[in-house]
Amino acid sequence: MSHVTPVPGTSPSVGAQLPTTTTGVAGRSALSLDDIAQRITVRFPAVRAEQAFGELTLHVEPDDLLEVVTFCRDDDELSCELLSDLSGVHWPAGEHTIARQTSTTGWPDYRVSREQGVVEVLYILRSVSRNHHFRISAGTVDTSPRLPSVTGVYPTANFHEREVYDFFGVEFDGHPDLTRILMPDDWVGHPHRKDYPLGGIDIPYKNDKFIPPPHERDLREVID
Amino acid sequence: MAIDPTAAHTATPAATPPATAADLDDDIYVEGADWESVVDAVSDDHITVNMGPQHPSTHGVLRLVLDLDGETVTRLTPIVGYLHTGIEKNTEVRTWVQGTTFVTRMDYLSPFFNEAAFCLATEKLLGIEVPERAEVVRVILLEFNRIASHLVWLATGGMELGSTTVMEFGFREREHVLDLFEAQSGLRMNHAYIRPGGLAQDVTDDFLERSAALVDLLTERMRDYEDLLVENPIWHARLKNVGHIDADTCLRLGVTGPVLRAAGVPWDLRKAQPYSGYERYEFEVPTRTEGDSFARFLIRLEEMRQSMHIIRQALELLPGGPVMVDDKRIAWPSQQSLGADGIGNDPDYIRHIMGESMEALINHFKLVTQGFTVPPGQVYVPVESPRGELGYAVTSIGTNKPYRVHVRAPSFVNLQAADVMARGQGVADVVVVVASLDPVMGDVDR
Repeated sequence: MSHVTPVPGTSPSVGAQLPTTTTGVAGRSALSLDDIAQRITVRFPAVRAEQAFGELTLHVEPDDLLEVVTFCRDDDELSCELLSDLSGVHWPAGEHTIARQTSTTGWPDYRVSREQGVVEVLYILRSVSRNHHFRISAGTVDTSPRLPSVTGVYPTANFHEREVYDFFGVEFDGHPDLTRILMPDDWVGHPHRKDYPLGGIDIPYKNDKFIPPPHERDLREVID
Repeated sequence: MAIDPTAAHTATPAATPPATAADLDDDIYVEGADWESVVDAVSDDHITVNMGPQHPSTHGVLRLVLDLDGETVTRLTPIVGYLHTGIEKNTEVRTWVQGTTFVTRMDYLSPFFNEAAFCLATEKLLGIEVPERAEVVRVILLEFNRIASHLVWLATGGMELGSTTVMEFGFREREHVLDLFEAQSGLRMNHAYIRPGGLAQDVTDDFLERSAALVDLLTERMRDYEDLLVENPIWHARLKNVGHIDADTCLRLGVTGPVLRAAGVPWDLRKAQPYSGYERYEFEVPTRTEGDSFARFLIRLEEMRQSMHIIRQALELLPGGPVMVDDKRIAWPSQQSLGADGIGNDPDYIRHIMGESMEALINHFKLVTQGFTVPPGQVYVPVESPRGELGYAVTSIGTNKPYRVHVRAPSFVNLQAADVMARGQGVADVVVVVASLDPVMGDVDR
């Protein structure tokens, strides 16, 4: 990328120079997804690589997570300077069937049966110097979700991990200040889990009005 | 003995003898009336002060806890969540098209970016490409939105530094942009105009004419801002060498956008990973090396100018054709015209579904009530919002609703840098630091 231009201002000569930290941004080309996958799976044979929608996902065991993430940051080929995103997805235990309009889409109904629910935590690692990114996925049981914190590797994970703790209850070992961040401090439960009830629980707002769960709700009352 | 915060207002100084340092716990509660007694009693000058959440200078409902050593900030702890509305959760019980209506309310200063990123993620899962005309119109709207967002940043930032002139200027020009949005989408903010598969409806000739005129006007007004601010000694005194952060720290803390570019890294997703046809436009990514608040101001000023440059090219490039993908399973009617009754309708489409084809009516009914289904999978789609990398991590299980939508909000991540930037600065500089990060609390708390 050679589109660097100084901004007119008080000292344009300073703006024309680039600090040494950005030489990588201009200089190096991106690794292909296959190369990234190979680079990591050779080093960590337990990692399973998967490609879909033009994106690479690396499934990592929680025990290996810190090592893999540190490798991705420090390795000269990968050089992932930036942890772009960290989020969670809850896949609850039990039988799940969701009709998917087979008549129009041709897809079979969504049927999943899990003995153990999983909270999947997704890390988007990005190399600013090489302009590539990929996803690391680490699963943890949803009954006592627990993962090592990557705040020591990427300090930006601080707020992200607090958010995942807040919404999914994942405890990140080694996080400096694992408290709720978006929900009130005294909130009970982790609202983005799929087993969190949508209504039917006490809500401390709305004039303490009790809102029944969806299947018991009278739509006429809701409209009132 | 800690000073009782509730007693402070009623007790006279004579009635409560000043506490000695030995009496005090580590925590000191300061309210207006007991200031003298506290200052007398404290042996060293370490004080913890709460700022916000209802404070005119914190850019919305942001609460900051400041540890002060005299006038110097030793630690800044941002406390967020006051505006949490559960938008991510809400999208899980709405169809994909309805999701647009929700996500546009997150970052209320750059609604089009949220819509665009959500729709790009949906389109990536669907494996569709929107028509060229829709892409170009999206770029026009996004860049106008970037200008509007930067103008609000300039206006509120100026107001927080006590310059009401800058505020008047910024909001005056931003109003023109909002008028333009209103003329096209019907709403000043929260448009839900960009939809999965294209746009809600085609743009009018009036919109295009007004866009061109507005770019000319803004170019002219941009000179006013420069004349007023770039050499302004007060502006220099307040912004220069305040809130410094270098490129390495930015990357470690995940800071992107103008703050990262002001620290010298030419990282812009529009260039690095072009989306919506950004590779077709000529523009430059401005960078500076100072990494202070003044550099960020200059970067944003230049970004507005580059946005106008892009809009001019897009207006010239704008091809004809549809603005919605040609797939009847996804496409809502988008070729609407305003009827005599003031309601937008598509007469041909209505004639087709009401008079000609029963199947088309069934399809329309299913599309509107149930929405379309999206193939299962996970995608992460980032766009370059005015505040940095705005990413949508969307998970689908193949139903008509998202399974999980996570938003990588740039304001949320960037706010972590406020601590580093404010340390060692004066209390008054905290306002500058927060303003130069440009956090939008709707984006932070979602």
